[in-house]
Amino acid sequence: MFKRPIILLFTLILFSSNASAPALYSVSSGSITFSSDAPLELVRASSNQLKGIFDAEKKQFAFSVNINSFKGFNSQLQQEHFNENYLESNKFPRASFEGKIIEDVDLKKNGYYNIRAKGNLTVHGVTQERIIKCELIIKNNIVSVKSNFTVLLADHNITIPKVVHEKLASEIKVEVKADLIDK
Amino acid sequence: MTGICIALAICCVAISQSLAQELGSKSFKLFYDNEPFKINCLYKNTEGYIYAGTTDGLYSFDGIGFKKNNFSKPGIKDTVTAIFQDNSKQLWAGFKSGRLAKKTNGLLEYFEMEEGNPKAAITSFVQDKQNNIWFASNGEGIYYFANKHLYLINAENGLSDLHVRTLALTANGDVLAATDQGINICRLVNGKAQVKVIGPKNGLPDYYVTSIVAAGNNSFWIGMQEKGFCLYNHSTGIITIPPAMQKWSYGQVNDLLVSQKSLWIATDEYGLLKQNGMDAPVDVLNAATGIQNKINNLLQDNEGNIWMSTNTELIAITGNKLKLLPVYPPEIFETIHATLCDYQNNIWICSNAGLIKYSFVDGHYVEKKYSFPALNSKTDIIGLYQDLNHNIWIGTMGKGILVLNPETGQSRSLKENPLLQNASILSITGRGNTVCAGGLEGVAMIFNITEKNKTITEKYSFTNYNDIENVGNNYIYNVYKDSRGRIWFGTDGKGITVLENGKLTTYNKTNGLKDDHIYTFTEDKDGNIWFNTEGAGIYRFDGKSFKNYTTTDGISDLKITALKTGPLGNIIMVNKKGLDILNTKTGTISYITGKQGIADVSTDMGSVAQDTAGNIVITTHKGIVIYAPVENTVYQPRTIIENVQLFLTDVDKNVSGNYRYDQNSFQFNFTGLYYSTPDEVHYQYKLDGLDTAWVQTRDRTVTFPKLQPGTYKFQVRSSLNENFDVADEATYEFVIEKPVWKRFWFIALSLLVLLALFYWYIKRREKQVKKVQQLQQEKIQFEFQVLRNQVNPHFLFNSFNTLISFIEEDPAMAVDYVEKLSSFFRNIVNYRDQDVISLEEEIGILKTYFYLQQKRHGQNLTLNISISEEQKKLIFIPPLTLQLLIENAIKHNAVSKETPLEIKIYLENNDMLVIKNNINPKVSREPGTGTGLQNIVKRYNLLSNEDVSVLNDGINFTVILPVLNKID
Repeated sequence: MFKRPIILLFTLILFSSNASAPALYSVSSGSITFSSDAPLELVRASSNQLKGIFDAEKKQFAFSVNINSFKGFNSQLQQEHFNENYLESNKFPRASFEGKIIEDVDLKKNGYYNIRAKGNLTVHGVTQERIIKCELIIKNNIVSVKSNFTVLLADHNITIPKVVHEKLASEIKVEVKADLIDK
Repeated sequence: MTGICIALAICCVAISQSLAQELGSKSFKLFYDNEPFKINCLYKNTEGYIYAGTTDGLYSFDGIGFKKNNFSKPGIKDTVTAIFQDNSKQLWAGFKSGRLAKKTNGLLEYFEMEEGNPKAAITSFVQDKQNNIWFASNGEGIYYFANKHLYLINAENGLSDLHVRTLALTANGDVLAATDQGINICRLVNGKAQVKVIGPKNGLPDYYVTSIVAAGNNSFWIGMQEKGFCLYNHSTGIITIPPAMQKWSYGQVNDLLVSQKSLWIATDEYGLLKQNGMDAPVDVLNAATGIQNKINNLLQDNEGNIWMSTNTELIAITGNKLKLLPVYPPEIFETIHATLCDYQNNIWICSNAGLIKYSFVDGHYVEKKYSFPALNSKTDIIGLYQDLNHNIWIGTMGKGILVLNPETGQSRSLKENPLLQNASILSITGRGNTVCAGGLEGVAMIFNITEKNKTITEKYSFTNYNDIENVGNNYIYNVYKDSRGRIWFGTDGKGITVLENGKLTTYNKTNGLKDDHIYTFTEDKDGNIWFNTEGAGIYRFDGKSFKNYTTTDGISDLKITALKTGPLGNIIMVNKKGLDILNTKTGTISYITGKQGIADVSTDMGSVAQDTAGNIVITTHKGIVIYAPVENTVYQPRTIIENVQLFLTDVDKNVSGNYRYDQNSFQFNFTGLYYSTPDEVHYQYKLDGLDTAWVQTRDRTVTFPKLQPGTYKFQVRSSLNENFDVADEATYEFVIEKPVWKRFWFIALSLLVLLALFYWYIKRREKQVKKVQQLQQEKIQFEFQVLRNQVNPHFLFNSFNTLISFIEEDPAMAVDYVEKLSSFFRNIVNYRDQDVISLEEEIGILKTYFYLQQKRHGQNLTLNISISEEQKKLIFIPPLTLQLLIENAIKHNAVSKETPLEIKIYLENNDMLVIKNNINPKVSREPGTGTGLQNIVKRYNLLSNEDVSVLNDGINFTVILPVLNKID
């Protein structure tokens, strides 16, 4: 079965000081934004501390972000609730997505690619297998990734109290933008 | 001679004509709009409608032609590789591009998923027990929907190969996948997919699996690339390989189809194959179907026909339903009067006073002839029956009955009853340990068969019922024993007599039978007795009453050769063109005729037989035809409304519609789905709300233009004949609203408004008339006043007084005075009829009056008029108005040297006529009625919008009259 590649990949980086290592890309800059569009309130927050690696040969990837690093809430109280009550970031400090790309992509060729990533999305400690569609723009060895997908709070055991039902949507839209460069 | 003869059995060489031939095959070339297309998959939806997924998109096939299913967005062309209808009746299509589409309201729309579309061709769909839809791709693995997400099972989950050809659902909910690397069993446990692979180590002969079809009992037939096919039992995991696979030389299996006890195999290079049971050999049907090589897909329609697609054609065969055994040469057809199918399913026919037996051995039919010296070559054998000792009874015309032991070849003529010597037998039937024989001249015999009769030399015990009234000396066409042991006698003109528990009962015309020439009997699965008559069709007798079926119920030919009960319980009527099949539950009749390949059926009663399974065996010019109906098939067309169009645009035909008054032109396209004989379908339609009568048609479309507003229900039904009593019906209801101007509330409102307008108009006229009347009245009153004033004795008295004073002093002046007086009275007469006169004229009257007054009052009275001549002509005034005002002034004011009275008349602002006089209060006032001024005010009210003003400030008395420029 599918082993935790994140450990695998980090070990690879450790030993990737050798030359002619397989093409390993990592995030040079990246942001992840989520928005909750509820009838009474629109909540948005972003983090630009997205970390990630991609092994072009094996088509495997791993991305993660610290929950604490999300900024841009409507109020300080909201950010506190987000971290302490809903995502419980003290218990589950990171959200991650790791897996393998379904299509075959030649990252050496410049171009625009529509690919799908099949992997495990872990949020709030709960892992869900997901297929996520991404757009890749490859130019001069920089891989720009753009992806939009939905996260269902129920999928990850995130409960919102009835009182705030009109202020938080049960489906959260997530947008990821990242540039990866060859290490 | 003990009467035993040994039949000379002549063995013949095996006939080269080997196997069953396919009857009634038809093919359809794959063309649409002159463009060829290739079929990738065939599918049948829940209504029985056949869909073809092609290189040109999704097509529907109704048995007559192909119809393209378009996308709602025009101009899309995509290759369909899989079709599926889910549990909520939603139709899906999978494409070579990896996309999915759903068909809604007759149009296709791509189904977009957040996870993105696969990029490899979709090959198969399945819906599991949790209602999740799975679909397989040729290169990416297996996808499935669950919990609002799309998931993928691929190598990470243990899938042995990403190229999945087909999916199948097992009894316990597992999904089987056929891949290039064995069969993968997929199961969702706690939301995660678990995969187990079955390959050669489990007994699978070949890794490369091409097809999986359910065989029942959680078993599946597996088609492979090189090793033919095998049976996989999912409950036990055991794979069984048919013995015939050891000699498998037919290459790749493309598709499999299970139909009752047969397995049909579509191959890539050797056409269509068939196997009738696990241990049976594999039959090649090339010659029969005419297809030499590649068959891509197999499908069975709801009537049991088998459809297959090649690269260029769609072909249908009747499959197991009808089989032709061309065992004898067509030339001898005319001589065959009796046919039998024995307990080993060998076919016996009579020919030239002998019998021929055809046995199926080692793939072909072997012929064995029997001849009977007791019969000369002219003797007709008219009936054959095999009893429970396997001896064959032969009924002849003129030579009685013979019994043959087919194993030993021994035979003897029955002499148990001397009548049999030269008897002419019309029928031989039997049941259990009884054999019945009916014939001419009093043959109505029942023979009892015992164990001892295994050897034909043993005599048979029998009873002859020829001394019964109504049976007696008549022709007995048929003697029949039913399952309850009753014996039925069918006679030529005396109706039916039944022997039950020793009691005889006769039924004939007095019981309601229209025809008492009775030919054959049969019993159905419910114990009812059916029989056919010479010319009145067939009857069903349930023990109490008779029910008749004739041409009005759909019987195609009343000359019925024989009546049999088919293996599925339907009543089969054999006629010279083929079969009429009566469904005993619904009363509907369907047909097997020349269209399905039968021609020239023998009309001899004895030429119809049944095999051990109960299938009907008939004798035709081309050979023996066996009708073996398929279980769970339909016998009547299924009525479907294809689409409903409003002005050539489709509307949703699944919900009743509401339309505006100008959406009133509808076209209905419908089909009675019947793939066996689609051209023979009759239709009836009716549009409730327009006409209450059903309209017959053979067309599949009807248009209703310019419908009036109302509530409508369109009904259409289809049938194979003119009998629509239990026909399948489809309906569409809709309402056309009345236009706004025809709606009740609008009309009511309009009427009210109209009434109001009318009322208002009348009222206005009334007012006007009243106004005119009032004016008239005022005028009359005024005249009256004036007249009164003028005939006022005071005025006359004063005038005459003045006159007297002149007569003596100044006679000329007196004459002048009298002239003026008379002139004044003449003016009154002249002007009193007019509503208004010019100011010029009025001043004329005034001057005359003033002259008279001035003569009386002298210089103490002055009148000052300062109005130009033009203005006098332009301004109008009611006659005698000024006169009355001056009269008033003189009446109410003192006129003397000390208190002179000056009256001024002038125009102010061009729209006011002012009459002003200074006030000299009188000591004693002359009484005045006051109505004169009032009258003037009233008249001016009627003539002008402006009011008359009367001002009295103690010093001057002013009356302001509005200027009237035109005549009102």
